[in-house]
Amino acid sequence: MSMRSQVYEWANLAPVGQTSTLRRTTADVPKALTANREYDLFIGGVGNNITKPAETTATQFIVIEDIACSPNLSGAVQIRINTTDYFQNPDVTDMVGIPGLASPYPRGANSAVALAAATPAAFQASITDNILKSFDLYPDVYVLPGQTFQILYTPLVTTPAAADAVTSTAVVSAFVKYTLYDGPDALIANKLLELGVTINPNNVDWYKRSLIEQQQRSASAAAASAAAAMANGGV
Amino acid sequence: MSMRSQVYEWDAGRGNAAANANAGSRISVFIGGIGNNITKPAETTATEFVVIEDIAVSPTLPLGIAAGAGATPVVVTTDVRGLSYDPVQGTAGGRAYVQVRINTTDYFLDPDNVPNDGIPGTASPYPRSLNFQPSFNLYPDVYVLPGQVWDVLVTFYHAAGLLTTTGTSLAAGGVAATGQLQCFVKYTLYDGPDALIANKLLEMGISINPGNVDWYKRSLLASQA
Repeated sequence: MSMRSQVYEWANLAPVGQTSTLRRTTADVPKALTANREYDLFIGGVGNNITKPAETTATQFIVIEDIACSPNLSGAVQIRINTTDYFQNPDVTDMVGIPGLASPYPRGANSAVALAAATPAAFQASITDNILKSFDLYPDVYVLPGQTFQILYTPLVTTPAAADAVTSTAVVSAFVKYTLYDGPDALIANKLLELGVTINPNNVDWYKRSLIEQQQRSASAAAASAAAAMANGGV
Repeated sequence: MSMRSQVYEWDAGRGNAAANANAGSRISVFIGGIGNNITKPAETTATEFVVIEDIAVSPTLPLGIAAGAGATPVVVTTDVRGLSYDPVQGTAGGRAYVQVRINTTDYFLDPDNVPNDGIPGTASPYPRSLNFQPSFNLYPDVYVLPGQVWDVLVTFYHAAGLLTTTGTSLAAGGVAATGQLQCFVKYTLYDGPDALIANKLLEMGISINPGNVDWYKRSLLASQA
């Protein structure tokens, strides 16, 4: 199939003795994060990673439709295409990206977690809010053929609250939803981009239909002119 | 009827219920030998067309580990939003993922084009609630063409986040209780003439849904009139 909805989920979980893992395991434990450091979800060396930087081939086109992260730790997510950050401050300086409070993952998660208490009951007793999304990634972000992209997670604090012991470790996660267009559909996506039409599965299908209709019109016009030529003496 | 909305719900606690040993391995919700199963692999005949419109699995809540927490799984007596919390992994719930496989090809891939575990239950939770809402929408839909075999595969990594029938952690032994790890698949089955129309729509690059199948039928009738 040439248009596929895809997701990537990252969490700071990896087996004991290593900071990252290519495959999730049943023995994963939380890994400590450093405040104000950008973590590449794909090859950042913490949590679950993939084998190489995320990039599109010459026959692929990616449309990033949603990004989100845990609301706790004041975390935020940023998209980087090649070397350019997508989200900027109004003065065109760098920023950490979309806060997890604006685009939470999971939706309905707590805004913070009180790890100072060693019993799960304290999670419920202390913070019981459900954060819903304030942010919608629209227009979508396009990754053109041959480009490299990164999703960067930045926690602004290391531990959830000042009262927590230093050995407490929060589990945070981040999420990216994108559609991968491959082969002919990637060519159509490029064509739509040239035309200034939004790239989504509906519009790709619309472009295919218009191509088919154009071919049918050409075929019927050719048949009509051939018939007319026959009627005029078979030339 | 030749277009039928269908669902399949799988529960790891039914039938031959899931155990700790099943954690980390892919389980077919149809013929995996765990939970409720069906009699044979899911496949379409030459006159059937299946459109998978939604998949979901039990959610997980990332929390963290508190200072001084034990290093081994403990019996969970308190839950967090209905999910069992474990102080070793720091998450509540089973850390479950769901993948769709058509013939031998996995649908969901990582950006390096390697098949992954699929959609996290955290992104597409089942059941949905105020605490757990979907971030993911399966669009475009997944088409299973006539003659193809398809499967839905669940992987869970956190047995300590699931409860057994006796109320203890699955990591400590026993089998999963019902409702602890569930998967949901929503699909539409097109049969007979409607499957032929679905194939035609696919050729034309039109999304296959009941509305478009009806539109094609109406356009056929209009061209005959």
